[in-house]
Amino acid sequence: MKRMIFIAILGALLLQGCKTAEQKEAKPLEMNPEKLMTSSAAGHGNCLACHAVPSRPELVAGNMGPPFIGMKARFPDIAKLKAAIADQKVFSPDTMMPPFGRNKLLTPEQIDVLAQYIYQY
Amino acid sequence: MKKFTLVLLLAFSLPVFAEPVMTDGYAEKTPEATLKAIQKASHKKFPEVKGDGFVNGSLNFNPASVESNKYWTARMNDSFDQPEGYGKSEAEGKKLWETPFANGKKFADCFGHGGKGAANDFPKVDPTTGKVLTFENALNKCLTDNGEKALDYSDMKTMGALSVYARHLSDGMRINIQVKTDKELAAFNRGKEIFYGRTGSADQACAHCHIQHAGDTARTEELSPVIGQAAHFPVYRLDKGTDGLKLVSLQERYKGCQKSTGVEKPIKEGSDASNDLEYFHTYISNGMPLSTGVMRK
Repeated sequence: MKRMIFIAILGALLLQGCKTAEQKEAKPLEMNPEKLMTSSAAGHGNCLACHAVPSRPELVAGNMGPPFIGMKARFPDIAKLKAAIADQKVFSPDTMMPPFGRNKLLTPEQIDVLAQYIYQY
Repeated sequence: MKKFTLVLLLAFSLPVFAEPVMTDGYAEKTPEATLKAIQKASHKKFPEVKGDGFVNGSLNFNPASVESNKYWTARMNDSFDQPEGYGKSEAEGKKLWETPFANGKKFADCFGHGGKGAANDFPKVDPTTGKVLTFENALNKCLTDNGEKALDYSDMKTMGALSVYARHLSDGMRINIQVKTDKELAAFNRGKEIFYGRTGSADQACAHCHIQHAGDTARTEELSPVIGQAAHFPVYRLDKGTDGLKLVSLQERYKGCQKSTGVEKPIKEGSDASNDLEYFHTYISNGMPLSTGVMRK
């Protein structure tokens, strides 16, 4: 009986350990689209590294990718823009754009808010 | 069924390469054709860069970078301002180069012509093992052949300084990498697959930035074309840690590139894979003059 109690306590402690470890690992997901677009920190999109926002001169830092301009005309269907952020290689096999969806650099929800935000330019 | 098993076996026994990016040079079958395709694309993209101008890398594209480079080069050469700068490395390297080994021999005895015209022929491929030997490997071989202890590739105070000084002796001489034998060709192709191979969480290859997008801007920095890159390492780079300059080897730079494109386990400096990459990479600079002791951001 004593042994059973000991094992039960041990089990409970172990579970508790797992729980705290999980809590420590899970960082809150960045959902602010402006931050997702501009920040180069881990867990962000860092779009500005390659794409300029010509309507905001302070956000012109790269030209490796096409600038964020005329987005609605270029992507009449926003789903195509989301798909491009998720995996541009599908549309252009030799692209250097990171596959944010395929390699899980961003979650589908993050790609969603980001695409909607970029759509304004 | 037997056939199927054979196909399966074959598929698993083939070396696993990263998926390549099909930009200029990859599709060419020989080293000569690869180099020609890259040179042709680079000259077409940058008509303003003439001949040896490619050793100036991204400085070709931004007058402001040229000004900033002049400023930092002056500081690099000023031993009072930058005690860990070029002056110190060259002095330390010279000391190592000229101090006789216990057996009375010196580095110059291993290379001929006092070491002049040695560095621009490296990396080479060992004809028996097929392994790539970088200039640093050759410096270490000279040490061990003479009963001395080899230096650590990533120790910039010893190997870095020695490499700076010994390469400096060949400054102005043209890079001349040979790819003729089967073993050389195999090493070249291994390096080529790394250069064009997609890697890391960003799924990017060296060729993306330094061929496909060379000259473009990423986060306000211009990307240097692959031609000429291997001509001036080790280089001095800005270092946030010391608020000054830091000597960086070519293969440490490879690691930096890989880290910034999300490679979890970058190929390490001094490893066989890194040496293979250096062999391919240096071949692409064939004909460029060696120009050590420079500052790059």
